Amino acid sequence: MIWITIGLMAAIVFISRYLFLEPKLPLKLNKHSLQFLSYAAPAVLTAIIAPLVLVKEQALYLSIDNNYLVGAIIACLLAYFTRNTLLTVVVSMGIFFFVL
Amino acid sequence: MQAEEQFKSKFKEKSKTQSKQKSFWQGVIAMLPLSIAVIPWGILAGSYAIEVGLTSLESQGMSMIVFAGAAQLVALGMIKSGIGLTSILLTTLLITSRHLLYGMALRKDVSSLPLKWRLSLGFLLTDELFAIVTTSKDHLFNRWYALGGGLSFYVFWNIATLLGIIAGQSIPNMENWGLDFAIASTFIAIIIPMVKAKSILVCVLVSLVSSVVCRIYNIEIGLLISALIGMACGTLYARMTGESV
Repeated sequence: MIWITIGLMAAIVFISRYLFLEPKLPLKLNKHSLQFLSYAAPAVLTAIIAPLVLVKEQALYLSIDNNYLVGAIIACLLAYFTRNTLLTVVVSMGIFFFVL
Repeated sequence: MQAEEQFKSKFKEKSKTQSKQKSFWQGVIAMLPLSIAVIPWGILAGSYAIEVGLTSLESQGMSMIVFAGAAQLVALGMIKSGIGLTSILLTTLLITSRHLLYGMALRKDVSSLPLKWRLSLGFLLTDELFAIVTTSKDHLFNRWYALGGGLSFYVFWNIATLLGIIAGQSIPNMENWGLDFAIASTFIAIIIPMVKAKSILVCVLVSLVSSVVCRIYNIEIGLLISALIGMACGTLYARMTGESV
């Protein structure tokens, strides 16, 4: 049963990744759609992590006790001022796991 | 004369191979911070799979075949709570639907490549790969760069899963350690440098508010809705202000 679940999940994930890379699929993207799609990465990534950082048990969790929020603010500051991905992730995770 | 021609073409061939290799390794290096950052998240995927009751082989197989962190973790949570296959698959579809947007955005560069390239890059198309490909320095798509980034990320993800499987067998409840903070930290490190124009800031803020509201009201399709609203607001803002990105 687990293998069937894994197989079907893999199929769904792969199809969603591959679908629009297929040239036989009749889809022409104009300048406007391409501009719209250029916002995909920041929009999607934000929508994945914002709830993780800001919501706990279906309520807004704006508190200094919220380690995810404090850690995320530290990561934002590091990313903004250093512009260094590796430093941002290593230092913010270090602070999150060993200090907070 | 012929010898000279031959030499020339050989030289050309060689420099072509070198530039392929060079691009491949540039991809590996561009991905390296994200590959390192995915280690805690991979450890979580491996240890949680063991916690849920999967065998080591199934746990590793999931990371090798599905290769989608968020979908894997959510599915594992559902397996643990005894939720049925149909619900698991529908949830997977919702979480993974964002990749349709990535595919569309990369269509102009990838759809003209040979099948083996489309299949490989399609399989490797994670959030992280999309991020490094769309923010690469010269903004020109290079298949070898993408392959280097994608493949090295795949290797890190699977080694991290293996570490999680090993650790998960002796350490219980690793899912409460907050290893998922890794994903927040990683994505923040990707998003902040992307905010180079006001319209992108608008897009991020709208997507943030919308996804939080959706989570509070338990709207399962929140991820996709919020991403689309954020993208729409960013585009509208850019058009209205005549901003050129």
